[in-house]
Amino acid sequence: MGGGTSLRYLETIRRDYPLSLHGVGLSLGSAEDIDAAHLTRVRSVVERIEPGLVSEHVSWSVVGGAYLADLLPLPMTEEALDVVCRHVEQAQVCLNRRLLIENPSTYLRFCHSTIPEWEFLSRVAERTGCGILCDVNNIYVSACNHGWDAATYLAALPRAAVGEIHLAGHAVKMLDDGQTLRIDDHGSRVAPAVWALYAEALARFGPVPTLIEWDTEVPPLEVLLEEAARAAAILREAEGEYACADAA
Amino acid sequence: MNTPAPTLLELQHAVYRSVVGRDDAEAAACIVADGIDPAARLGIYRNTFASVLTNALKLSYPAVHRLVAPECFEGAARLFIEEELPRCANLDHYGAGFPDFLARFPPVAALAYLPDVARLEWAVSRALHAPDVPPLDLGRLAALTEDEQARVCFAPHPSAGLLHADYPADSIWRAVLAQDDAALAAIDPASGLVWLLVHRTENGIEVTRLSEAAWRFTEALFAGRPLHSALEDAPGAKAHVLLAKHLTAGCFAGFGVSDNAIS
Repeated sequence: MGGGTSLRYLETIRRDYPLSLHGVGLSLGSAEDIDAAHLTRVRSVVERIEPGLVSEHVSWSVVGGAYLADLLPLPMTEEALDVVCRHVEQAQVCLNRRLLIENPSTYLRFCHSTIPEWEFLSRVAERTGCGILCDVNNIYVSACNHGWDAATYLAALPRAAVGEIHLAGHAVKMLDDGQTLRIDDHGSRVAPAVWALYAEALARFGPVPTLIEWDTEVPPLEVLLEEAARAAAILREAEGEYACADAA
Repeated sequence: MNTPAPTLLELQHAVYRSVVGRDDAEAAACIVADGIDPAARLGIYRNTFASVLTNALKLSYPAVHRLVAPECFEGAARLFIEEELPRCANLDHYGAGFPDFLARFPPVAALAYLPDVARLEWAVSRALHAPDVPPLDLGRLAALTEDEQARVCFAPHPSAGLLHADYPADSIWRAVLAQDDAALAAIDPASGLVWLLVHRTENGIEVTRLSEAAWRFTEALFAGRPLHSALEDAPGAKAHVLLAKHLTAGCFAGFGVSDNAIS
């Protein structure tokens, strides 16, 4: 996995903070074999920085050996489910640990899909023992784009499997014909509706470690800290409620 | 008549043709329209694909990016992406062919030095991302007999690379990244060939200009030729001084002793 200053910085940070390692390149949904060289690179980073959590997306990026540099949507079919399960199992064996799989944000659906996305995630978790990285912003974005009910989506996820939450800002893109699509671009503050959904998610899943993704149009540090503080406050509140519920 | 649903592999090839080849027909036929043209939906993925890869090229070629107009870089990147797709999900490895692409990209033909600056940036990028390997242990080298020292063959450090350029790519690269217009204006592009060594040290990337003789001697060592053989071809290169510099700078990762006795 290379070397140099980036990895050195990461190791320095790791000395003081736990890290979650988040992949975009494994292409768990590729019909062809998973790229063994890439999986080996991920393993070498896992061995080197010993992250607390390791996650990847329910999507695909590689066909014919070419990496298409995006998290492309899968048809929600039994065939795709088998492929993702096979690759998750392979990754978990290679990395010798549980993987978390993240729900994608999508801008299209395939006509031949037969499984609701939330059920697809639950079945992968059930079959492989992997966890779920619940990206609350992605749920909101996809729900708006496809007319789903975000609360139904959340309620369908198996509580015990959810090991991490992602939040992020998204953009509203106006198309030529006046229609809009929400785009997960990690380039702004978390939307109010996503904060509300986050509180719902915590109420359901408990105080799960949460990461805010903001990697385009990165703002001044104070803005990032404000967003992080807001998430931390909601998380603390959930911790209190969770502890009370536990005691009861 | 209903057409059968595509297999996952068929669908992924259809999406590939849409994203890379702008041929939406097959993929669009598999997409729920739901009030929005499937082609517009596919266009969102195509845009991300192109902008992620363009950004990867900007990160590897920051000086080239600054030397040309933004729209020129974007245009070059879009055409290059059509020619060369990443074969690996680590995008630090993407874009090796960009310097050669620029050399035959007509809009930048007037900037004859641009491909050389790009080649230097690729060597710098490779050095930046090379694996962490400890440099050669000088104590082990000192323990060799004199005869063994003559037959020693070195393995270059993975971050070390050599290149030569028709134009002063190193001076241009430094001035552009430092945004030093005065230094840039003072460079004579026709000042002749430069012979460069790029490698990573504790303090970052070093780009060192060598004499042609020193560069050729270093090249022979990097190719694994035994020291005595490399020395024979390096008259006047102050080879021993240079070797000592390379050793202390960590340009080598290891060594072996050639079996061939010196004749």
